[in-house]
Amino acid sequence: MAQLYSSVKPTPMLKDELDIVIPTIRNLDFLEMWRPFFEQYHLIIVQDGDPSKVINIPVGFDYELYNRNDINRILGPKASCISFKDSACRCFGYMVSKKKYIYTIDDDCFVAKDPTGKEINALEQHIKNLLSPSTPHFFNTLYDPYRDGADFVRGYPFSMREGAITAVSHGLWLNIPDYDAPTQLVKPLEKNSRYVDAVMTIPKGTLFPMCGMNLAFDRELIGPAMYFGLMGDGQPIGRYDDMWAGWCVKVICDHMGWGVKTGLPYIWHSKASNPFVNLKKEYNGIFWQEEAIPFFQSVTLPKECTSVQQCYLELAKLVREKLGKVDPYFITLATGMVTWIEAWEELNSAEGTEAEAPKGKN
Amino acid sequence: MVEPANTVGIPVNHIPLLKDELDIVIPTIRNLDFLEMWRPFLQPYHLIIVQDGDPSKTIAVPEGFDYELYNRNDINRILGPKASCISFKDSACRCFGYMVSKKKYIFTIDDDCFVAKDPSGKAVNALEQHIKNLLCPSTPFFFNTLYDPYREGADFVRGYPFSLREGVSTAVSHGLWLNIPDYDAPTQLVKPKERNTRYVDAVMTIPKGTLFPMCGMNLAFDRELIGPAMYFGLMGDGQPIGRYDDMWAGWCIKVICDHLGLGVKTGLPYIYHSKASNPFVNLKKEYKGIFWQEDIIPFFQSAKLTKEAVTVQQCYMELSKLVKEKLSPIDPYFDKLADAMVTWIEAWDELNPPTKA
Repeated sequence: MAQLYSSVKPTPMLKDELDIVIPTIRNLDFLEMWRPFFEQYHLIIVQDGDPSKVINIPVGFDYELYNRNDINRILGPKASCISFKDSACRCFGYMVSKKKYIYTIDDDCFVAKDPTGKEINALEQHIKNLLSPSTPHFFNTLYDPYRDGADFVRGYPFSMREGAITAVSHGLWLNIPDYDAPTQLVKPLEKNSRYVDAVMTIPKGTLFPMCGMNLAFDRELIGPAMYFGLMGDGQPIGRYDDMWAGWCVKVICDHMGWGVKTGLPYIWHSKASNPFVNLKKEYNGIFWQEEAIPFFQSVTLPKECTSVQQCYLELAKLVREKLGKVDPYFITLATGMVTWIEAWEELNSAEGTEAEAPKGKN
Repeated sequence: MVEPANTVGIPVNHIPLLKDELDIVIPTIRNLDFLEMWRPFLQPYHLIIVQDGDPSKTIAVPEGFDYELYNRNDINRILGPKASCISFKDSACRCFGYMVSKKKYIFTIDDDCFVAKDPSGKAVNALEQHIKNLLCPSTPFFFNTLYDPYREGADFVRGYPFSLREGVSTAVSHGLWLNIPDYDAPTQLVKPKERNTRYVDAVMTIPKGTLFPMCGMNLAFDRELIGPAMYFGLMGDGQPIGRYDDMWAGWCIKVICDHLGLGVKTGLPYIYHSKASNPFVNLKKEYKGIFWQEDIIPFFQSAKLTKEAVTVQQCYMELSKLVKEKLSPIDPYFDKLADAMVTWIEAWDELNPPTKA
């Protein structure tokens, strides 16, 4: 693990255009370690669980904190679409933020070191990933061609070298890998020690498992699709919040011609959640997922859907229609998806993520 | 700066995986001194050397290597009139080696590719990594964010559907290059100094439905699964284009692998690419390709093979018909190429009569 302080003061890119969203139920001492990289940014803390509990934040951080009472006060009846007792509640932070970019991180994620022993400023790498184009239409074998010392390889069509706008940057984890309960149970000791020095675009038409632990995205582009579903208290499923968002986001990004990147940066994931508790949460999902993936793989959004909201509402209809028969949960989820968009519109009616969202070439 | 590994003193690999099931195909026009460096890793294997250019020239091969050598005369003798589908004065001729081999696996490498070093300074046995890639499944239907889940210390991540975790058979393993990267002429011209020093410790499956630029410098494949589709096209002498041989094969094999549910992997192993070819010469070769490629890629992206096409040969014949129909309007070259694709399959079947059903 990297030591506490970093001597050099990094210049904070996008300081006033990015919010860091952190879901939590405990004191945020982990922020101490991130201080050199996070201190200049505004934090949005979404306190899950018992709202009367006091969450203390290390001195010097500029933050807003929302607990369940705040969510109920702000959204009223629409608060029903925000999960309770599950980190899925974090997506409320995306909705209430006014910034162009969001970085979300879990409170058990620490600063990782690269192979040379240097502390990794994960946020800085995410920002680089978001600010350079993606290449969803053709796979570049040297990975992200826009990185220093890399480029498009021989045979890559020149007309595609402008790339597409990047909507999402999905980072990874050293130490405790993000495994599901069955894999945790059979591989209790496995740690991820492989540092893969790559960032790449997930090709158009390909789905991926999006983990919410170390994730950044362009909120103005794709924010409305980043709904983390209905998990936790009163729900038959958990630990599929980020997965659900990832499948929705990828289908919509493919439709809009936007890019989703995965790879660097790494964070150091400090502790494994209990695999037995996880198995209970994931149990239904393990079966439902076998229906959900083919569903998302076959979704085609009509040309008329030109904004993320329209795409998402269309997706909600298809979920109700196609997945509703798998389990009534998907009917509730489809309703939650609609409520989410309505709530998003209410809080973000001023800034139009509607019309002028630039449509990439697809 | 990145340098090649020094393999002096490394004992010859005493447990060579797939020793009798793999041929190494090397196209060349010069002495194969570069093999000296590869001796510890390659000597146990049988080599097929495809000599391009002047057949009267003799090619010196270091002592102790077991090899067959085919020059243009041999190709003409073996294929007769069908030799017209094998390129001349272009490394594309290497695909003759795939056709004449009887082995299940092929590893092909260029004679300017040396042994690379991994970040710990260890010499990289590229062939061994390719074999590992080919012998474990691919995951083309869903992207695993920790890359190849079958590698040591890795697995499928949370959210990866369990029904897809068996994976599919791997047909192709596409390796990369340190030092001189495989850039096209324009990129070479604007970035003369760029060297690839980034060692990305990953192997991954290229997802179904996604095309990629396949480089033939450091490539291995399952000849029985996909060999008939590995035709490197018509390049070089008498042709309007060059340096698109491996690209053409890569687009064809990816469409066919997607259709047949086979996997294509890219990433490790690295080789050390020692010298850059002349960018001005390359620009002449690539010139037409730069334009044609803008139509070729959409063509391959939308190419649909019928359900009836269940063997690679059938798929390839259908592809050839589509090329003739859809790409010939761009240039008569594609008409010729489509015919050569058919000739190639005929020649392949002649040399490789379908013994088993």
